[in-house]
Amino acid sequence: MKSPFRGFVAMLYKEFIAVLRDPMTLFFMFFPPLVEMIAFGYALDNDIKNMSLVVLDQDRTVESRELVDRFANTGTFRVTGEAQSLEEVRTIMRRGKAWAALQIPPDFTRELHAGRTAHVQVLIDGSSSTPALQALNTSLAVTLRQSVVALLQESGRTQVPVEVRPQVLYNPALRSPNFFVPGVIGVVLQIATTFASAMSLVRERERGTLEQLLVSPLSRWGLMLGKLTPYMCIGLVMASTLFGIMHWLFLVPIAGSVLSMFVATIVYVFTLLSMGLLVSTRAQNQMQAMQMSMALILPSVFFSGFIFPRETMPWIFYEIGFFIPTTYFIELMRAIVLRGASLQEFWVNVVVLIGMGILLFMFSALRFKRRLG
Amino acid sequence: MPGEIMIECDGLTKRFGHFIAVDHVSFKIAAGSIFGFLGPNGSGKSTVIRMLCGLLQPTEGVAKIAGFDVTRQTDEIKSIIGYMSQQFSLYDELTVYENMTFYGRLYGLRGDALTKKRDQLIKLTHLEPFLRRRAAQLSGGWRQRLAMACSLLHDPQVLFLDEPTAGIDPVARRELWDLLFEFSSRGMTLFVTTHYMDEAERCTHVGYIHMSKLIVCGAPDDLKALPEVNPPGTKRLDVTCDHVTKALQIVHRLQGVRTSTVFGQSMRLLVDQSLADDVIRSELARANITNVDIRQISPSLEDVFVALTANRDREVQEAAA
Repeated sequence: MKSPFRGFVAMLYKEFIAVLRDPMTLFFMFFPPLVEMIAFGYALDNDIKNMSLVVLDQDRTVESRELVDRFANTGTFRVTGEAQSLEEVRTIMRRGKAWAALQIPPDFTRELHAGRTAHVQVLIDGSSSTPALQALNTSLAVTLRQSVVALLQESGRTQVPVEVRPQVLYNPALRSPNFFVPGVIGVVLQIATTFASAMSLVRERERGTLEQLLVSPLSRWGLMLGKLTPYMCIGLVMASTLFGIMHWLFLVPIAGSVLSMFVATIVYVFTLLSMGLLVSTRAQNQMQAMQMSMALILPSVFFSGFIFPRETMPWIFYEIGFFIPTTYFIELMRAIVLRGASLQEFWVNVVVLIGMGILLFMFSALRFKRRLG
Repeated sequence: MPGEIMIECDGLTKRFGHFIAVDHVSFKIAAGSIFGFLGPNGSGKSTVIRMLCGLLQPTEGVAKIAGFDVTRQTDEIKSIIGYMSQQFSLYDELTVYENMTFYGRLYGLRGDALTKKRDQLIKLTHLEPFLRRRAAQLSGGWRQRLAMACSLLHDPQVLFLDEPTAGIDPVARRELWDLLFEFSSRGMTLFVTTHYMDEAERCTHVGYIHMSKLIVCGAPDDLKALPEVNPPGTKRLDVTCDHVTKALQIVHRLQGVRTSTVFGQSMRLLVDQSLADDVIRSELARANITNVDIRQISPSLEDVFVALTANRDREVQEAAA
């Protein structure tokens, strides 16, 4: 009885030497993901601070200046200029020099002291929805608070009737990196690993060495496993680097166990590499392999919940997310890193990833033809 | 065992869509022979080799190596054959030594057995000074030696070489053939494709494939004696003289000369038995061509292939008309 893995050790020997001697491949495996990680980590930031605010103060009183200060003190706004007319305000905003404008009319203080409603106008640039929403909420909160304080004084009460004591768990400072960076790791890892394994068999086909392997007693399982193992090791080295960057550069605290993180990563990388192998059984040249891997990777960027929460997507996109390994990995990472969850609590994700990996691996090994043409 | 049939094809055919790459090819090769497989580019040589190695599935026909069927018993065949493809498939980033170790392990060699076999082949191929060199940095001749060493690590009974001498220098070519004779003397069966007629002359048996069909197959001496090659009432002459190209034009017009071609400093003629040497001499003398020397010769393999290809083309044309 011949071993189903015959030739595995030989492949392992060859692949390790070949991978480590090929600085170009190593560079292209490591460099782009690191750049992407750092770029994504810094660029994806929902914390909107210091939005430029232009002020048109037609009242010019102590009270009106206090109101401007209240806006500035939220940290959301930063006063960048004063306008003289509504016309000037509109020009400034159209040119994109300010995100919002605060217009205080001449009768502001008078109305305030008379106990009537004092009107102020806030103009918000709605062309970018997230900052606009933030500007809207902040300005409403500032004026609401002032109104409440005024009402309290009039009614003689010293306490507000209802007060919320919010407690934000797991990410008390609501830092964006804590949310994004674990997801970025999931997306970035697959770029390097899927491409690398998709290329490896195709390169042998292009060079003609595959023909030589096919006339040898090497088994399909030996070949596939021999191709996968070295890239698995590289994938884990890379994951460790990315975890390091996450923790020490983006200062994301790790609440759960590092061991659980690595178990999840091993399972995930295995799935990604198998996906790459499947591509390489199909692609005839490196160009095709690139395009096919790209087609597999792209949906994960949109549908895995890496940037946009899946729950807010239309149902079809939400369902697509279930077929993407990255979805399960990102969920696992956020749970372990941020919430300190254990693998047992997320066993479904682990089982699904293992299942996907084994299926993809078996499929690519069985699909692989031990003949040419 | 010598004399036993090692490679056997019967009606071997390969179609790619409508294109017939190999058309009902049949031959038998005895163990220990050096079989030279000739034919122009695209005639189907590589396709035959690939089918015999189990790389391509035949569309029709049977092929057996050492009695094992190439379509069904590939595992048995893989351990007894070696294959050296056209491009000497080596791993460029691995050193000479590592390439050999890899191929040895691929065939299940380990420990002392691997060391022993590797050392033996290094000695045989004189690769010693290059052991630590990357395969990418080897010249053509040395690459080919390494490829050969790699394909021999598991002691195959049959070695397939697909144009092993294409693009390498004459010295390396000669040395490769010396190696091939040595393997053959140890009982290995060699299947070599080539373009070179001088290489064909060295083989114990040759086959010639043209337009996907095997035209002829046999020992070179038997082929040279074929009646199609030596039509009754004709003889082959080698004529050495001055101004060969000019002489060729004169001889070409002569009654009784069937074919004529220049071969270096001489002409090779196929003429009627009745044409006397003196007729040729006097005709050349009239054109002031001197130093004429005429010898009767036997046909070369090239003559054999030219004659048979011409016959085949004529048959095809007649069939079409």
